Amino acid sequence: MWTPEETQVVLLALRVALTVVAVALLPGLAVAWVLARWESRWSLLLRGVVMLPLVLPPVVTGYVLLRLFGRRSALGELWFALTGNHVAYTTTACVLAAAVVGFPLLVESMRLSLAAVDPRLEAVSRTLGRGPWATFRAVTLPLAWPGVAAGAVLAFARALGEFGATIVLAGNVAGETRQIPVAVYTLLNQPGSGAAVTRLTLVSVALSLAALLAAAWFGGRRRRRFAA
Amino acid sequence: MIRAELTQRRRDFTLEVEFESAGPVLGVFGHSGSGKTTLLHALAGLGHTERARVRVGDVVLGDRPGGRSLPPEKRGLALVPQEPLLFPHLSIRENLTFAPGADEAFAGEHGEKVLEVLHLRPLLDRDPDTLSGGEKQRVSLGRAWLSRPRMLLLDEPAASLDADLAREVLALLLHAKRELEVPMVFVTHRPSELISLADDCIVLEAGRIVAQGAPLEVLSRPKALGLARLVGIDNLMELAVVRHDADAGLTLLDLGGGAELCTPLCEVPPGTTTSIGLYAEDLILCRELPGATSARNNLAGVVVGVDPIGHEVLVTLSVGDVELQARVTPGAARELGLAVGQPAFALVKTTACHHLH
Repeated sequence: MWTPEETQVVLLALRVALTVVAVALLPGLAVAWVLARWESRWSLLLRGVVMLPLVLPPVVTGYVLLRLFGRRSALGELWFALTGNHVAYTTTACVLAAAVVGFPLLVESMRLSLAAVDPRLEAVSRTLGRGPWATFRAVTLPLAWPGVAAGAVLAFARALGEFGATIVLAGNVAGETRQIPVAVYTLLNQPGSGAAVTRLTLVSVALSLAALLAAAWFGGRRRRRFAA
Repeated sequence: MIRAELTQRRRDFTLEVEFESAGPVLGVFGHSGSGKTTLLHALAGLGHTERARVRVGDVVLGDRPGGRSLPPEKRGLALVPQEPLLFPHLSIRENLTFAPGADEAFAGEHGEKVLEVLHLRPLLDRDPDTLSGGEKQRVSLGRAWLSRPRMLLLDEPAASLDADLAREVLALLLHAKRELEVPMVFVTHRPSELISLADDCIVLEAGRIVAQGAPLEVLSRPKALGLARLVGIDNLMELAVVRHDADAGLTLLDLGGGAELCTPLCEVPPGTTTSIGLYAEDLILCRELPGATSARNNLAGVVVGVDPIGHEVLVTLSVGDVELQARVTPGAARELGLAVGQPAFALVKTTACHHLH
């Protein structure tokens, strides 16, 4: 039957995925905007760096993050000084790993939809008296909204499925870092846990499918009315 | 009304203009690629402009380099782009009241007037998607007017419309010019629009001003080759200067075969060539030479083409090494018995020959 441990695994996975979206949304939007509206050698480099986790083996990404945020690294010590906690092998590590791996998906979806907004509409808005920020809120964001939402959903789904970078950076600590993929992998090595694996697999399939459908639904919405 | 000095350098294009106009409607005339849109955007403060000194009325909008430069949203120069770009996610009503403070203008007397002049009332609750091009352009104009701008910047507002709609939009603009009293900078490549709407005009060619003045004056005496092509000057010729006659106020040009063309005195040295523009309607055709006339040019030639075009006949006359086109009425063509192979004379006033640079 369904165990409290399994509930814990699923809830942790959802919490991590939601936190990833909350943390990555605004930086992702900012980076996507820069990439969509700025054409220079530097934006090409920025795009390369942002996209890197998409093509790197996740385990390698995890190792790089471990070197960057491990206990004896500068960033790890800075985080410790600020919060009193370590990064590695904590829920924070799960969020960090999933955010970095999901960031390219988030940014690319947002970049495409921001680039599709006609800059002349923004120019008209400016000459009608709305400043850059007001123009972004009243014109750019509403028009790019489907892609922005789809990007957030994709990052959410990617976080639910994250394994490689997470296992390196966050390990397999029950209640702390053990989410669905890691839990399934652990159970597979334990005899007699077939039913639990099946249950978690079904939950995973259901969540991923729901996220994909949501992304498709947002992506399909060409337009959405917003109060200006 | 407006005074501007603008320099904008791009890899493949440089805009460099200085102008001043009392308005209220300044026409900017030129063919595509002459820098008209660049000029409007530089006035509006969109994009980077190396030198931008712009004054509208008593207000300095830009004073670069050295001084400060207002961002587009603080300039009060509302842009009406060539294609009517409505905000697709907003209703027509929301489009019209998009500018800060436009809801009050919309609800007040100004709004009443704008709605009436541009016939916007039936469109208010429609979706931008369902509007025709002409309707969209009316909304785009109304949206700009309701922002209560210091000045409107119109970028060929009729160019993307078919001829009937373009006439309608032009009529609306004329009506609006009288009723709503907002100064405008109006970009166009159509002479008719320039003449009917603009009080003053500048002509752009390759990013520079090549002519400036009252539209009728500028168009009837085109001084630039590009402008001559644009207004449809029928006879454009590259001719060598034979000699100058300062006393008579003439410069004689070589038409070939011993024929010469008397043109207004110019400073091009003899032996070098100059471009001449001559409207086809400024040629008088006759079968035999008249007596004494003020026209300095009586050119003997042979008719090589008689082409009815609409309610006119375009007659091509071969004179020396060139072919001249004359526009006459069908009645005149019949009466003179103009036919290919017939000899004829062309009378041309000296002042009808325009030196082009």
